[in-house]
Amino acid sequence: MSKLKSLFLIPCFILLSSVSVAQAQIPLATNSDGVPTLAPMLEEVTPAVVNISVEGKRVTRQRMPEAFRFFFGPNAPQEETREQPFRGLGSGVIIDAEAGYVVTNNHVIDDATDITVTLKDGRQFSARVLGRDEQTDVALLKIDNPRDLTAIQIGNSDAMRVGDFVVAIGNPFGLGQTVTSGIVSALGRGGFGPERLENFIQTDAAINSGNSGGALVDLRGNLIGINTAILGRGGNIGIGFAIPANMMKNLVDQILEFGEVRRGVLGVRGGNLTQELADALDISRTRGAWVSEVLADGAAERAGIQAGDVIVSVDGNDIQSFTELAATVGTMGAGRKVTLGVIRDGEAMNIDVELLEREAEAAAATMHAALQGAQLSAEGNNQGVRITSVDEGSPAHRLGLRADDIIIGVNRQRVSSVSELRRLLDNTQGVVAMHVRRGQSTLYLVLPN
Amino acid sequence: MKKASHPLIQLIIKPALMGLLVAATVIGVLPFVSSLGPQPHVADPQPASYAQAVNRASPAVVNIYTESIRQGPFDPRPRSSLRLGSGVIMDSRGFILTADHVVSGVDEIRVALQDGRLMGAQLVGSDRLTDLAVLRIDADNLPVIPQNNDIQTRVGDVVLAIGNPYNLGQTVTQGIISATGRAGLAERTGGLSSGYSDFLQMDAAINEGNSGGALVNSRGELVGINNVSFQSQIANRATTGIYFAVPYRLARRIMQQIISDGVVVRGYIGITAEQHYNTNQDIRGLLISAVDPQGPAANAGIQVGDFIYEIGGEPIQSVNQGLDIVAETRPGEVLDVLFYRDVRPMQARVRISRLGDNQ
Repeated sequence: MSKLKSLFLIPCFILLSSVSVAQAQIPLATNSDGVPTLAPMLEEVTPAVVNISVEGKRVTRQRMPEAFRFFFGPNAPQEETREQPFRGLGSGVIIDAEAGYVVTNNHVIDDATDITVTLKDGRQFSARVLGRDEQTDVALLKIDNPRDLTAIQIGNSDAMRVGDFVVAIGNPFGLGQTVTSGIVSALGRGGFGPERLENFIQTDAAINSGNSGGALVDLRGNLIGINTAILGRGGNIGIGFAIPANMMKNLVDQILEFGEVRRGVLGVRGGNLTQELADALDISRTRGAWVSEVLADGAAERAGIQAGDVIVSVDGNDIQSFTELAATVGTMGAGRKVTLGVIRDGEAMNIDVELLEREAEAAAATMHAALQGAQLSAEGNNQGVRITSVDEGSPAHRLGLRADDIIIGVNRQRVSSVSELRRLLDNTQGVVAMHVRRGQSTLYLVLPN
Repeated sequence: MKKASHPLIQLIIKPALMGLLVAATVIGVLPFVSSLGPQPHVADPQPASYAQAVNRASPAVVNIYTESIRQGPFDPRPRSSLRLGSGVIMDSRGFILTADHVVSGVDEIRVALQDGRLMGAQLVGSDRLTDLAVLRIDADNLPVIPQNNDIQTRVGDVVLAIGNPYNLGQTVTQGIISATGRAGLAERTGGLSSGYSDFLQMDAAINEGNSGGALVNSRGELVGINNVSFQSQIANRATTGIYFAVPYRLARRIMQQIISDGVVVRGYIGITAEQHYNTNQDIRGLLISAVDPQGPAANAGIQVGDFIYEIGGEPIQSVNQGLDIVAETRPGEVLDVLFYRDVRPMQARVRISRLGDNQ
């Protein structure tokens, strides 16, 4: 009887242990003494974080002293340019083991001619830059002949809350792989560089020089940020910043699809919603992006957004400030459809917007080799694409393009916008005949194959 | 054979069903059980986070901006200087604790709440020795910091510092209590040899602008008031990993005095002493190394070399404890002091004066 009883305890036991096995998969594990430890999670994740060492040459310019001109006459060069070799160190994160894709910061690989990726197990690979973006400081590398790599799991950075535990993994001061822990100190930090798109996760996990490009992971080991910057000159003072993983992923997707970042543009100007502004507009909330001007023919105008609207969310995620709106939209990619939460006259509504391409930035060379040297922008009222400038002697100039020409068609198809021109050029095989309006007349220019 | 197998099967099936029933019950109940109380051996399905504590405490931590206008004799026009700090809303009447050095000598104080409200604040009073000040704002629906009067702060407790470093916006940093009872950081003044508060030492990073902000525990309860200025007293260059806060209970006492009296009045005895173990009597106490010749102790006949072991009926174990008893005695009241001169037990009745009056 007692034997039978002990037998029947077994199914009970098996079921019980299956429960605890399911729970043991949660990475915040405890060691045999019941003390919490991050070690099991880190064992899984750290092989996906790599050291990056670069070599390159930086061009430094120096104005010639006046005395030179005195000695060498008026034809003496005004500037002296010097190439200086440099070496740099940083970190990176493997996001695709099979393809060998590594994410890092643009400032880690800027001006680099040789990039070496060193894995945690000591193996070294050379790598090349697939694409990079200065405004967000993100770069995507590809390891040559990748094999047996470990990729990180990318988490949902929008789900992070202030107070959540995070772990920074990187290569500070070239010491070798280092793990530091902390919490999310704040979200949506930005506005440090006026030219930049910033929506940082702030953390007190110690980040130092060399950590740049490394991983910020949650307790499950999922990537939630790319460590990028710190406040403080000497070193860490408990204030570090990471690019959110969702933003990084948007940029990587664009680089993989187009070979470059194609920023989405909403076409609004504005500022942060302040208490005074909220009072004046009779809005109960004080966080959001206030639209002061809607640019003509931009994505926002087409979707019906008006000056005075307050944008409070993008695809359901709260927007705290105009800086955050700019960074969120600016990294989503042209052509992307987003739903904006808008407050107008005290009423909340959702507006669907298709983001447009940042036209002013479109360098024609990225569309067709024969257009190199020309700068493009949209002509008003969808009348075509205006050539804003053409470099003398460039391929575009030799082709016959001149400033103020307007491209109105490609191979008998009408062109109304820069993104349309890009699409047509991408999809056209062989010779391209471009229909151009110059003043009162029109002409065809033939782009060589 | 058929009949014989029956009871056997019954025998097996009955406990088997019972076992499965028990198993099913345990599986069904177990998740609830683990969510009922802290179970360090079973990992919580939701990874640990301080988000809950942050949600409870952070709305009550305010940003403080001050402006002072100075015009020197040779300045053509007045110059204004701005200072930055943090503060903690202590009750719904609008009393805010902050650091004295954030608000002392300024012409205008403005308080920014986390919900976006920005308003002027009044200085109720301040205490230089603990570097605390109390402000008041006039507003409705104020978020108040969670407080626990019986709070016990131990070395190793997890703490979160909440404030506005460098005016970045509200920032939460995490660390542990590194030490308690750190004395002697505030300005040394009169009386006994050490300072007037026992500070908390921690490793949660605080920076310029964090002063006056909240230090809370993992439940979001106020543990202390952060103070950056003490850090610069122990090291000239930027230090990391060593920061200080005024403990909650001391801060609350100071605040209550400031609210009721406008100032903090401390008793003064006029001795300098150090902790000493008297081997002759086998007791702990204070050995007097100096007396203020005009002070209350000298007037009552206490001399250098006397060994004090009891003040106001309480056995004295440490300098800080004696300091606290004296400081909290109202000026004019009499404290009985028991001491040994050599091996002779003696007693003195000391009329406590007011700290700051006789130096």
